[in-house]
Amino acid sequence: MSLLDGTRTSALDSAPAPVRVARSARGRRWIDIRTWPASLVIGALLFVVVVLTLILTPWIAPHDPAAQTLSARLTGSSGTHPLGTDQLGRDVLSRLMDGGRFSVSIAALTLAISAVVGTLLGLVCARRRGAFDEFIMRLTDVLLAFPEMIVAMFLVAILGASQSTLVLALVLGGWTPFARLARGVAIEIDSRDYIEAAKSLGCSKRFIMMRHVLPNALSPLMAHAALRFGHKLITVGALSFLGLGVQPPDADWGSMLADGLPYMSRSPGLVIYPGLAIFVTALSVTLMGQGINVRRNRRT
Amino acid sequence: MTFLVRRLIVLVSTLVTVSFVVFLIPYLTPGDPARKILRARVNDPNLDAESVARLRTQYGLDRPLLVQYADWLLHAVTGDLGISYTARSPIPPMIVGAIQVTVLLTAAALIFALAIALPLGSIAAMKRGRPTDTVITTVTQGFVAIPEYWMAPLLVLAFAVHLRVLPSAGWTGVASMVLPCLTLAMRPISYFTQVTRASMADVLDSPHIIGSRARGLSYRQTIWRHGIRNALIPVVTLFSVWLGGLLGGSVVVEVIFGIPGMGRLVYDAVLNSDIPVLQAAIMCIVTLTVAISTVTDVVYTVINPTVRSANVSS
Repeated sequence: MSLLDGTRTSALDSAPAPVRVARSARGRRWIDIRTWPASLVIGALLFVVVVLTLILTPWIAPHDPAAQTLSARLTGSSGTHPLGTDQLGRDVLSRLMDGGRFSVSIAALTLAISAVVGTLLGLVCARRRGAFDEFIMRLTDVLLAFPEMIVAMFLVAILGASQSTLVLALVLGGWTPFARLARGVAIEIDSRDYIEAAKSLGCSKRFIMMRHVLPNALSPLMAHAALRFGHKLITVGALSFLGLGVQPPDADWGSMLADGLPYMSRSPGLVIYPGLAIFVTALSVTLMGQGINVRRNRRT
Repeated sequence: MTFLVRRLIVLVSTLVTVSFVVFLIPYLTPGDPARKILRARVNDPNLDAESVARLRTQYGLDRPLLVQYADWLLHAVTGDLGISYTARSPIPPMIVGAIQVTVLLTAAALIFALAIALPLGSIAAMKRGRPTDTVITTVTQGFVAIPEYWMAPLLVLAFAVHLRVLPSAGWTGVASMVLPCLTLAMRPISYFTQVTRASMADVLDSPHIIGSRARGLSYRQTIWRHGIRNALIPVVTLFSVWLGGLLGGSVVVEVIFGIPGMGRLVYDAVLNSDIPVLQAAIMCIVTLTVAISTVTDVVYTVINPTVRSANVSS
């Protein structure tokens, strides 16, 4: 850290000047939406709309999602119920908004834990190599051999169905791709000239890791995280659909879809809307991931 | 060779770890483990305390855990996993039947996906940057975001309820396979198209393609003789990865369409707490998946010299 403050800094600063210019220019360009690819713009817009709606649900939902009106069951869309009502006369739109809070937050939570744990382990592997690296990499080999659904069902069999089982199951298989990606990227970055320069200036390994390796590895990791989010969302929904995830009286998009199946031919909306919600949300984040990748490839 | 040895170590250690956890299921789930294990042996759900005590010694459940594990593993390897709680019958025939169904379903879905994705990906690569490419790439990438449990009811609604041309569920013949295969194929189509496009694009840029064009071969001849063959290598790898992945990943589709495959078997076993079936099914799925990925890795290494040297040196 001593390199960055004090008088010595100004003297050293003039040497890697082109690098610094490039860094700050890149930082500014990220904010400039005009340089974003179309997929990133569309995906980000869609995602912001979905997330804002879900956050504001308690205030903007047209009805109480749990309020039943048994006299108005399975109605089509109308002024009071824009998307109709379900088999118990509950407002479908309000239930969708409420259910989305479960689906999206569980997917986001599992992704965040997986990404942080995986990235840190990957970086440590890249830095230490040796036996620890070998052990973690073989562990990822083992975990990658399991189909995600089988791991989840296995845990449900042992721990019982609940939201925490769901999160645990998805994290268990979810951190491995991040660890591999972070490790690979970090090793690649390690061979670049500016790392060599930093080393010869006497920077500590930890400093190089935090100041140079992590920021440069962030963009591919973010792209990967975005691409994984849609997958997580769909898997969360699949487990709830099977009755192994979010448990009644709570409902997420997956369990709503499953509840609607028996009434499908009479009110197709009960099946179409929850699926559409998952599709649109997953698509928005997938588009963002692709946009980040396009942007990254354009730059290099 | 070191690569092969290391791959085998991974294979064996995976199977040992998984089998030990699977063996522990009766101990990890709520209730008396001995009662659960004995139930899988004597086919009587209502044992009294006296017979449990007697059978506990008879079946060696009072021995140390590791000895029991070795004993269980020995039985498991010979196919003796006890009796299903719900079906009240030996397990191996159930597993064999279910695996056949799932392998057939998965293979059909993947072949269908390849039949769609190979031409699409190749066309996209040849028209790189043009509108055709953009449309193909965007649409197939969107396929990833489609949940199977949404796709399936929509297909049923369209083809079974409204058009009445295909059965909505069951496992009765080729017609009943169409909708499940279509549902399962969506995500593989997306990945196969992207990989085909990327590897085809690489091949099209490579010197030997430019060379054969310079020697006077037509564009079409060049693609057929040199392009497709080289572009296929990554696709084939991905194919086997998916074959392994779908073996356990077809749960949702099997449940929706009422297909008696492996996914359905595991799902029912979890719902009914049918421990012996769960143990057997998970062991089979993991063994198959790990075996497929090992064989793929090894074959790929043998075929491809660049990977071989990279794997050997690392």
